[in-house]
This record gives sequence, structure tokens and C-alpha cells, in this order.
Amino acid sequence: MIVGKNIHKSFGDLEVLKGVDLHVKPQEVVVLVGVSGSGKSTLLRCFNFLEMINSGEITIDGHTINPKKEDLAKIRAEVGMVFQHFNLFPHKSVLENVIEAPITVKKMKKEEAKKLGMNLLRKVGLEDKADVYPSKLSGGQKQRVAIARSLAMEPKVMLFDEPTSALDPELVGEVLQVMKQLAEEGMTMVVVTHEMKFAKEVADRIIMIDQGTIIESADPKNFFENPQNERTKQFIQLVE
Amino acid sequence: MPDLFVDVFDVFMRTYQGFLEATVVTLELTAIGVVLGTVIGLIFALMKISGSKILRGIANIYITVIRGTPLIVQIMFLYFGIVEIYTMSNFWAGAIALGVHNGAYIAEIFRGAIQGIDPGQREASLSLGMNRKQTMQRIVFPQALRRSIPPLGNQFIITLKDSSLVYIIGVAEIFSLANREAAQSYQAFESFLVVALYYLVLVMIFTFLLRLYENKLDVDKA
Repeated sequence: MIVGKNIHKSFGDLEVLKGVDLHVKPQEVVVLVGVSGSGKSTLLRCFNFLEMINSGEITIDGHTINPKKEDLAKIRAEVGMVFQHFNLFPHKSVLENVIEAPITVKKMKKEEAKKLGMNLLRKVGLEDKADVYPSKLSGGQKQRVAIARSLAMEPKVMLFDEPTSALDPELVGEVLQVMKQLAEEGMTMVVVTHEMKFAKEVADRIIMIDQGTIIESADPKNFFENPQNERTKQFIQLVE
Repeated sequence: MPDLFVDVFDVFMRTYQGFLEATVVTLELTAIGVVLGTVIGLIFALMKISGSKILRGIANIYITVIRGTPLIVQIMFLYFGIVEIYTMSNFWAGAIALGVHNGAYIAEIFRGAIQGIDPGQREASLSLGMNRKQTMQRIVFPQALRRSIPPLGNQFIITLKDSSLVYIIGVAEIFSLANREAAQSYQAFESFLVVALYYLVLVMIFTFLLRLYENKLDVDKA
């Protein structure tokens, strides 16, 4: 579904990604782990072209993308992204947040979009908050709205960039629950997270990124019980 | 002291009809200066944050020149400059000068507000498939506009007071009236005190309306 080949990305002199290869299959849930600064968030942002890669190749749903020639908006519309800090639009109500892109990008009729929006809000358990503004929501609720907003574009793949890192501990569960449900429905997902329990339960594959390269890629059982790389072993000890 | 009060009252009573007419001119100058300034300001703000080096360069030159020279010089320059090529009333020359002058300051207000919006807003919008134009129109600019309202209000008040400077090219607004009254009646102190009160009252009404509007925006947002 998403294939990255030999991805290199630098910020100035700092090389953040040093030739990453990643192949995410349809309906696969891949969790990216690593210490902060390892490049995992940058990799995710490259898949959505919020960062432009310096070299390498990104293929989405069989289509290799040339970011210089193509309409990036069209590509981004097919790749959902959920951010650490939610980034809800504060000047729009919850429902307006969800239906903004379907109306603006897909030119969906307002009535139809509202129906879709309400269905999605029901899915994330926030039907009753449709007319409320984001400032009145808890962090967990905000993130669930952000997920609904992304889903409204019916993306082929969902990227999650530390979706629970900015949440109070008691609010993490409700967001993970929604993500777990999505995974069970067969959504292709790439998740950067520090929630190891989620990774163990939901991931098909866990990938460890260290200093801009992939150093371990295994199913959860092998990843935690039989890690090959020394740095992965250290990392697991740290988080367990 | 009672004498002064009587004198001021006397000037007031003698001039209020003229002042009411002149107040309309002052408000017209202010309104044109503000509307024109907002349009120019928006265009130059967008130029200044655009990807084009040329557009950015033009906007920078405009803002630098306008902010770097006194309004009164700009008024004279425009008046005598434009009249050379195109016949125009002194009122319009003054109003356009106010608009051009304001445009530079308002451009900076808009630019600051746009750049002050959390980059995450832009990223979220782009990630949903909205293009750069849609992102600016529907997500970034509406938020920036809200933030611009207090400094814009401030700029409007400055414009109202700055409109007094067009007296130099003979526009019959309230300051020029006070000036004439002072010269004719030899009651300079009283005349300028009266005109000061006119400005003060106008600014207070303006401030009050602005506060109402800001409160309404806050309520809407909640």
C-alpha cells in the first residue's frame, strides 16, 4: 500500500533518514518505535509529503510519486494523518472540522457531508459534540475528532504521529480504542507511538528506527521476545 | 477659569454646524483610508509571504518606503505628483494618501497574524488534501483575521487622527476648520481645545464599537 525505497532526508547538515526501506502491505498495521530524534516522525511526514525527501522513492497504492510534477493535494487526500497536537481548526465546530475537506476538496454536497460527518462522529463516540467548538473538548475527545476528520476523506492509509503523547494518561485509552477498532476494520495504518501495549496488541509488525535507519522489523512477539539488534534490546528494557 | 469655559462654549456654539459638516469629511477620509489600506495591506501581506522573490521584494520596498517617510510628505508628494498627470480633487488625493500610508502598516498586521498561526493548522489542512489556496482561504486566513482585529482597530484610530494632516492640501476636515477658526477669531487656544474634544469623542465612540465587536467575536468562538 505504501512503499518507501531508500529514503534520504536531511535538514541542513543533519541527515535524519539515511536510506530507509519500508513496505506496508494493505490492511497491515505497522508501528514505528525508536528514541526521540531517531527519525520516525520524519519518516511518517515524508509519506504525506509534509516533508520532501531528498532522494529515494515513495509509492502509494502502486503509484510512484514524483512530488515535483504531481498535485500533492490529491495524493495527501488519500493519506490520512493524525497529529500529536490534534491540530483541530479552532474556528470551526466539531462537525465543521469533519466535513470541511469533503466539501472543499471532494465537492461533496453539504447535506451528504453532514450525514457522513455524523456517522463518523458516532463511530468515535462524539455524536453529541457535533456543534461544540474544539476549545470545549478534552484532549482525548479532540484526538478522536481529528481521527474522524481524517477518515472523512476515506483515505487508503492512515498515519498516526504520536497520537497519544500529548494526552493525560487517563485519556490515552479512549483514543487507542478507536485506533484498535480501525485496525480491526482493516485500515492500513502506520503508527508512531510509545504505547507498547498497543503495539503488542494491535501491530502486525513493529519497526525500530535508530539514527535514521531501520534496525529491527518483526512481528510483536519476536520483536519483544527475540530482538536481534543490541539497540533494540536496550530500547525494550527501557520501555518495559 | 469660568471665563475659559464660557469662551470654549462660545466657540463651540459658533462653530458646531461647520464642525458637523467637517466631521463627515473626516469620517469619509478615515473610512476610505481604512478600506483602501485594508485592501492594499492584504495584497502586500500576501505578496510578502508568497514564494516569489520578486513579489516579496516589491512588498518590502513598498513597506520600507512608506514606513520610512512621514505621512505629511506622502500627502504632499501624492497631491502634487498625481495632479501633474491626472486631475483629482484634494479630498481624493488626501484619502488615497491615507490609504497608501495605512496599507503598509496593515500589511504588517496581516503578515504577523498569518505567520503567527500555528503551522500545525496548515499541515492539518494540507494533510486532508486541501491545496495551498484553500488552506489559506478557509483555515489560516479566517483565524489570522480574528487575531488582526485588535491591532486593526488601533490602526483605524491612528487613521482617524492622522486624517488631520490632509489640512495641508486644503481639505475641509475638522482640523482645518479649527485652524481657520483660530486664525479668524484669535481664539486659538479655545478653537484647538474644541477640535481636540471632537477627536476625543470620535475615538471614544470608535473604541466602544470595536470593543463590542471583539466581545461578539469571543462569544461566537466559545
